[in-house]
Amino acid sequence: MSEESGVALESATEDDIDDQPMLKPEEPSLPPGEWVQKNLFSSVFNSVLTILTIVVMAFAVRGLLNYIFSEERVWSAPATNARLILTFAYPESQYARVWVTVGLLAVLAGTSIGLWAQWAGVSAKKLCFWSMNLGSGILLAIVLTQPGVHRDAAGEVLRDADSAVLRKSFATAMSDRLVWWIVGLAFIGAGLLAWNWLGEMRRRTIRVPSSALIFGSLGLIILSLWIVNYGHYAFSDGEFIAISGRTVASTTKQPWTVMWLILVGSFFLGRRISQSQRAVSVKGLMNLAWLLSPFIIYWVILRDPSIDYSHVWTTDLPIFLAFAIGGGAILWLLSYPGIGEAGRLAGVGLVVVAIFQFAAAFTGWYPMLQKARISFVVLALVGLAASNFSGERSQRVRFVGVWVVLMALLHYFATVMNSPATVDVVSENFTGGLTVTLFVTALTLMISFPLGVVLALGRTSSLPIFRIMSTAYIESIRGVPLITILFFFSNILPLFLPDGMDIAEFAAIILGYSLFSAAYLAENVRGGLQAIRRGQYEAADALGLTSPQRTSFIVLPQALRISIPPLVGQVIGTFKETSLIAIIGGFDLLRIGNQVIPAQTQFLGIKRENLLIVAAMYWLITFAISKYSMRLERRLGVGER
Amino acid sequence: MTNPTTLADRAHEKPPFYRDATIVKWIIQVAVLALVLFSLFFLASEAGDNLRASNVPTDFNFLDVDPGIKVSEGIDTDPDTGGRALWVGMVNTIRMSIAGIAAATVLGVIIGLARLSSNWTVNKVGSIYIETIRNVPLLVQIYIWAAVLASLSSVNLDQGPIHGWVHLSNKGLSLPRVFISDGFYQWLVVMIFGALVARWVHKRQTAIHDATGHDTYPIGSGGGVLVVFAAIGWFVHPVFGFVGGWLDQVAELIDGTPEFGLQLVLSALFVGAAVLWIRSFLNQRRTPAGPAQLSDDDWFRMIFAGIGAGIGVFVVLIMWPGLSSWMINSSRDLFEVLGAKFGDGRDGAPFDAMRPNVVKPGNFANYGPNGLNLTIGFAAVFFGVVLYTAAFIGEIVRGGILAIPKGQTEAAAAVGLRRSTQLRMVILPQAIRIILPPVGNQYLNLAKNTSLAIAVGYSDLVQVGQTIGNQTGKPLPVFAIWMLFYLAVSLTISVVVNFFNVRLKIVER
Amino acid sequence: MSFSDAHSPISDDLASRRDMIVCDNVNKWYGDFQALKDVSATIKEQEVVVVLGPSGSGKSTWIRCINRLEVHQKGMIAVDGVELSNDLRNIEKIRSEVGMVFQQFNLFPHLTVIDNITLAPRWVRKLPKSDADARARALLDRVGIPEQADKYPGQLSGGQQQRVAIARALAMEPNVMLFDEPTSALDPEMIKEVLDVMKGLAESGMTMMVVTHEMGFAREVADRIIFMEEGEIVEVGTPEHFFTDPTEDRTKLFLSQIL
Ligand SMILES: Nc1ncnc2c1ncn2[C@@H]1O[C@H](COP(=O)(O)OP(=O)(O)O)[C@@H](O)[C@H]1O
Ligand SMILES: [Mg+2]
Repeated sequence: MSEESGVALESATEDDIDDQPMLKPEEPSLPPGEWVQKNLFSSVFNSVLTILTIVVMAFAVRGLLNYIFSEERVWSAPATNARLILTFAYPESQYARVWVTVGLLAVLAGTSIGLWAQWAGVSAKKLCFWSMNLGSGILLAIVLTQPGVHRDAAGEVLRDADSAVLRKSFATAMSDRLVWWIVGLAFIGAGLLAWNWLGEMRRRTIRVPSSALIFGSLGLIILSLWIVNYGHYAFSDGEFIAISGRTVASTTKQPWTVMWLILVGSFFLGRRISQSQRAVSVKGLMNLAWLLSPFIIYWVILRDPSIDYSHVWTTDLPIFLAFAIGGGAILWLLSYPGIGEAGRLAGVGLVVVAIFQFAAAFTGWYPMLQKARISFVVLALVGLAASNFSGERSQRVRFVGVWVVLMALLHYFATVMNSPATVDVVSENFTGGLTVTLFVTALTLMISFPLGVVLALGRTSSLPIFRIMSTAYIESIRGVPLITILFFFSNILPLFLPDGMDIAEFAAIILGYSLFSAAYLAENVRGGLQAIRRGQYEAADALGLTSPQRTSFIVLPQALRISIPPLVGQVIGTFKETSLIAIIGGFDLLRIGNQVIPAQTQFLGIKRENLLIVAAMYWLITFAISKYSMRLERRLGVGER
Repeated sequence: MTNPTTLADRAHEKPPFYRDATIVKWIIQVAVLALVLFSLFFLASEAGDNLRASNVPTDFNFLDVDPGIKVSEGIDTDPDTGGRALWVGMVNTIRMSIAGIAAATVLGVIIGLARLSSNWTVNKVGSIYIETIRNVPLLVQIYIWAAVLASLSSVNLDQGPIHGWVHLSNKGLSLPRVFISDGFYQWLVVMIFGALVARWVHKRQTAIHDATGHDTYPIGSGGGVLVVFAAIGWFVHPVFGFVGGWLDQVAELIDGTPEFGLQLVLSALFVGAAVLWIRSFLNQRRTPAGPAQLSDDDWFRMIFAGIGAGIGVFVVLIMWPGLSSWMINSSRDLFEVLGAKFGDGRDGAPFDAMRPNVVKPGNFANYGPNGLNLTIGFAAVFFGVVLYTAAFIGEIVRGGILAIPKGQTEAAAAVGLRRSTQLRMVILPQAIRIILPPVGNQYLNLAKNTSLAIAVGYSDLVQVGQTIGNQTGKPLPVFAIWMLFYLAVSLTISVVVNFFNVRLKIVER
Repeated sequence: MSFSDAHSPISDDLASRRDMIVCDNVNKWYGDFQALKDVSATIKEQEVVVVLGPSGSGKSTWIRCINRLEVHQKGMIAVDGVELSNDLRNIEKIRSEVGMVFQQFNLFPHLTVIDNITLAPRWVRKLPKSDADARARALLDRVGIPEQADKYPGQLSGGQQQRVAIARALAMEPNVMLFDEPTSALDPEMIKEVLDVMKGLAESGMTMMVVTHEMGFAREVADRIIFMEEGEIVEVGTPEHFFTDPTEDRTKLFLSQIL
């Protein structure tokens, strides 16, 4: 969420620059002739290189297109299994939960875009070019593609020119091609027309808002679901359905249309709010919502825990209340402004007691729930820092409030995680497909972020024991491959847990990813920490700030801001790394494409098609994030103060 | 208000411990350390209980017994001990890493240069390559390669014996195999001499060049000496058969070492290291005005160094007394094995080579043991890691060269250097210093990424280890071996990269 | 060690005031290099002392020791009767009672001007936000830039930034202000605005210790001038004595080079 707040900081000053031109001046464009001369044929060597590359590329593209459009390809395999790819075997009767999830995310995304986005928009000139490029690309593709190999019912290749089947098949192919010729020419024509028209009106630099473009193209895709005959391919109640020549099932197009409406609706809502007085507080709320959403969606909506209420009333709730109220009272006292050394002594005392009660866990002195033990340690650490964050009444109230919320979340999720799921999903208690890929990414990042920051602080600390511990951890994690860590957490970790404590495989995997990712994250944050000049530390010291205060008010905010670009890189890395779940036995996006679908009787051994679709999905998401990070980097660079 | 004299007296008053900056700092550190150690200890003791309860052994015995598995490819496909099987896996990992690093470097540099090209098409092809490869998870790419290669069933192995040097089919790729033969170790002794002489020649030629300015070709003459030694050694190496006797004597000597003696030596090493560190620390703190000015913080540091040494001594003497006997036995074995490589009957060539062959033991034909057989798994992982890493290296190369200010090129042109000389003498030496560290990082990533081999059944260390771990029910020791091996690989790569980095820096000055 | 010797002619008026900063044989080493050699000096309440000396003579090191940004290894430093030692209570006390202004301003770039100023009062002095804000605005008024409160430091000129830094230090209501070459990083046309603020501060009775190369300021504002070289105090005196009739040869040499 760090980048979220970074954006918030900037948008506080500039409101809506959606329609303002970008700060970067556009490249002066040469006339086409000169451009070709300069970039393609500037010397003999260059000319040869150009021609060679073009020929090689033409063959490569031709091969690829033929591969894709070859009639041997079974694209109906991924199409039929679209639902499997997205959510794995999530029970059909419970599918409403999935739509609630998507709807929630649509609300969050739409509102956030409305609140924060300051897109520069795309110039009309560029749009014209895009349209013409797209059209030429389509034409080129038609020219390069072979008219396919035709087979009879037995699968023999047809060569006989008189064959009626061949003629029919050829005719279909040609009419398909004709359609695409028309589409390609239409794009080129539209681009050219708009170009001329805008030129006459001298309005080529006019900008189309990016939001309109994005929502518009999303809308077009969804509209096409209603119009274009993609065909209806599905498994329904275990039955294989393949009806070509019609639009997709209404259970697909109806909900997606609703989702699009929700998205656009909440975008306008966000827009409205961003211009109102409450923008700042709503933004804070949105940050919190994003932060909590993966947990809530995963455990509450998709899993629907069956909570054992008698246990809650007799054990969970009392422990929570004890820590919320008792701990809150202790923190209230410790954050009293005038407490001085007594506070420090009490903090140290708390830590000592925390260590003892923790150590007592394995001497068997007195039984105590793990939850209580861990809460106690957290309380002691927060208590130790309490005096640094004391202040006027409202500040203390907020401090204690944060504590109570923290405890509530900790205890709530501890309870929920340990409850069996109501939604019964094939194997294990988690879903699969893209859903699990995204959830593992989100949860990993959220857990590893604070951990990574702590490790980075430890590694740059002046206290030798902290430094040695953090360095040893970071370097040994970074030295070994992720897969070995994942094996450790899925195979070996269960052996380490005390009796009666169980960890779901999903949670173990997330823990493994988080601990791994934290080491890399720490290195990124360390880069930011090292970029902070010594003068900043000295100024904070000279003002009398304590070192926790110096860290949280001066050092970290600056360091995190510097680390945003590498941190986004880390987001991409984590997303790609989730594919390793396929190796350790989870049903993620990749595993479904590589193993689950090829095992179905209808699509036995069909791998390449699924893998290409899966690769395309990964590529789309990763490419989008990396493009976003480049924009972010540029904007941070421009906004450097 | 305050009398200065009393103030001066108060200077010697110590604050109570909870207000003493140094002591508070150390209390916090020790407290956190204690929490972490307690947690680890807690988990470990639980693990111990659980492992005992479920009869999961944690020892390393499996290293010496028949693992009951076959390895799909490598220096030994039917290893007779678990240790041997893991060793085959390690060699496979190393082989894949080295081959991958070499290929990825070449491809990466080509792509980086393509991205810098002023030719629009070449440039675009480079950027499309990078954007495509970089944004798809490596594992997906490996799976795609494996699927594509598996569908490549064009060659029929039933067609009788094959001739030629290279053979490709859906069974993989078979290449001529060069392998170490009888006389290798004796020849190696000759080469050690050769390296010493070559080094001396190189130094001498350099000195002559510096003194007189003549072209003396130091690298060429050093390399020439090596080639000459290699050629002569090929024939005369049996002369060094006697080295085997020496090695046997060393083995005996080691065998005679008392365990307790080694324990003492190891303990002395720990203590000695701590003493040396404290001494240099004290030297650092010494001021010309007198003996060291030690703060409490310094005292704590020294005490903890002492504690560290104490822990080392404790481990050696009490906690793990078997360590020294293990060290004695294994080094004795090492020398015995080495000793057996010398002497009688080892008059042949140091290397030998064979061409691919095909065998058909049962119904299915396969590549025979003569060739260097690379399976589909190898090819899939190899293509995967090479193409993937090359994309990243390409970006690094491009960034490194772009980071050199334009003024450098202009200055080089101004002193009359030709374009190629500009690149070679001015741009590249500077760019390489920027490029090398991140590329070293990519090498590390490549070596770690080869572990994805397990997905397509290439027998690298992780794959073999996982199989053995499942077979014997000993995942924990296997995990320890993985950790140590990969840490060693990472360390080696970073040492090598660092070495070149330092060298380049000196050359540049 | 007797402390009563006046290192210099101090007027009777000054002698009767209380000691604000006492340094007694302060020594500091960086490894083998001795940066401070037996530095002893006493600075009285409301006194303005200017420290002069060539670059590398240890001026910054000394002034930073007084704030415990550096730790001296031998000797004693006391501020307002509180000795600088490992005692956390004393360190906290001195840090919040001694304001410091740096050559490079060291403003916090991610906070607005007003947040820069109110940060320490709120979190160290535990002032309510409204009080801290009011005080900060008053201070900005005093240093002459009330209209810049909501800007970020990067949007201000050097002179304005340094004035914010002074306001930030003053917001803690310190008894002593330390200045380490506050005008050295400024363009000439901005030096005056900062010096004017400092003059005003001196007139208001603040105890100040100023390292500077602005001889005009030293002559006009200083009660005493301390000249350092190679980590030692070479000469101490009133501006008059110092500029017209220095006793030490090293001082004369320095003045001849600089004037
Ligand atoms: N952190 C440090 N490490 C080593 N030497 C230092 C350090 N800081 C200052 N010095 C040395 O101490 C001497 C005094 O420095 P300083 O107090 O900055 O001088 P001034 O402010 O008078 O120019 C200089 O010779 C400088 O090189
Ligand atoms: Mg200085």
